[in-house]
Amino acid sequence: MRRPFEDGYFTMPDGHEQPRLIGSYSQTADKYFFPRRRRCPLTAGAVEDVLLSPTGELYAWTFVESAWMGKTRFSSTGDGHGVGQIELPEGVRVQSILRGGMGDWEIGMPMQLEVYPLVTEADGTELCSFRFGPAGQETPQ
Amino acid sequence: MMARDVYVIGVGMVPFGQPDANAADLGFEAAVNALEDAGIGFEAVGYLYNGYISAGLLTGVTLAKDLGLTGIPISHVENASATGSCAFHEAVQVVAGGSVDVAMALGFDDLNRAAPAIGGDKPGIGQVILPAAFFAMWATRRMYDVGTTVETYAAIAAKNWNHARLNPYAQRRADHEVTVEEILASRMISYPHTSKMACAAGSGAAAAIVATREVAERLAGSRPLIRVVASQQQSEQYVDGHIFMGAVVGPGELTQTTAKAAYEEAGVGPADLDLAHVHDAFPIEELMYYELLGVCEAGEGDKLVAEGATSLGGRIPFSTDGGLIGRGHPGGPTGLAQIWDVTRQLRAEAGPLQVERARTGLAHMMGAGAVCVIHILQSTA
Repeated sequence: MRRPFEDGYFTMPDGHEQPRLIGSYSQTADKYFFPRRRRCPLTAGAVEDVLLSPTGELYAWTFVESAWMGKTRFSSTGDGHGVGQIELPEGVRVQSILRGGMGDWEIGMPMQLEVYPLVTEADGTELCSFRFGPAGQETPQ
Repeated sequence: MMARDVYVIGVGMVPFGQPDANAADLGFEAAVNALEDAGIGFEAVGYLYNGYISAGLLTGVTLAKDLGLTGIPISHVENASATGSCAFHEAVQVVAGGSVDVAMALGFDDLNRAAPAIGGDKPGIGQVILPAAFFAMWATRRMYDVGTTVETYAAIAAKNWNHARLNPYAQRRADHEVTVEEILASRMISYPHTSKMACAAGSGAAAAIVATREVAERLAGSRPLIRVVASQQQSEQYVDGHIFMGAVVGPGELTQTTAKAAYEEAGVGPADLDLAHVHDAFPIEELMYYELLGVCEAGEGDKLVAEGATSLGGRIPFSTDGGLIGRGHPGGPTGLAQIWDVTRQLRAEAGPLQVERARTGLAHMMGAGAVCVIHILQSTA
């Protein structure tokens, strides 16, 4: 079984549908935001939930090998993880974990949203988060 | 605009990065050092603002029991890395507003013991993105936009390591001239930043005391008066591509707007600065702040580094005491350590760190990317 690590950030549809990030749209500012806002940060007007585009363009990236300011390794094996900022067509910039390793990313490349297991509970339930990977590449399950 | 002029009358510090040190013990020592520097007792202080991130409930009030049970108001200020700067800002405002004639800002902390979750009390999806990643992405994007090289980032870090060699209170005191090659050879933290490019997290304490002109003049002796000519604090405003989620996020423009307000308040411009301190948790930040503070045009920061303009002896030295990279970044005390150095520079008491004929100095700190505090101090000499 799989479910979100934290509710309210993305959809996890059954079957072959794409996951989508859940954002906010402000009609008064004509702006989209992620994650959801309680109200519009520009106008203080009402916002409504929207499903954002599952694809975007890579704005910036890094590969993190240490959790803090140089004191602690990210994991005992020395494995790191990619982090990127992805610009969605709605004008939203999302900060996200990236699938892949050093050399896999280039600024400006198309990226695709996906869901991946972040933590596995004792009963085998996978708690999932979202990440982006290079579009058009096979997503490992 | 301040209702009353405010002056720095005393500063105190302890050596940063003492292993196993109790932060409150360090805080007491820094406070006493600042009182002695000012030439006053704690009974003269009308308000105490404590700045800490990692200490427990009411630690500041408990610590103050040893400074003196004088009955004054004591408050705790916390805004991540900008904590000490915000405590100083509050102390300046309470004197400027006329509530008290003397106020102290005291920072003590150990960043290695700071709570891991920013913005919440439980692990959340937003906390997956670490502070090191955010600024590293500033760095890769700049490499793409401007063509900045990893050698430039390493040169800024090496500069700050070498400034710290001259500072007896610095956490990182190398026994040799630190080179670009050595910085690049240290292990990778978050590409393109290596461990020797990252700020030195550890313990520390620093304090600053501010007062009215009347008090400052009475205590000055042969020293010049050090006036706080600008004290500005802002939080983020919306920009295109605004990022809301992550442990540390915020637009670079925040430094630009806060600096503009500070320059207007002080009646000076970036060309008037003799030295500057910034939130150089990583070298990309210092590089970006050259431009966002208006010290050079956008995209020209790399040239400043190549020319050595921001080194001690250069046109506009940055992070003169080693900055967060060299002097260290305990958390709450960091912004007050900047005030310690700027004050000593403007008094011509900075010893081997001294910037010649320093008259105007700027101190800038960011809190989790979303809070910016800028102070400008000026010597009346």
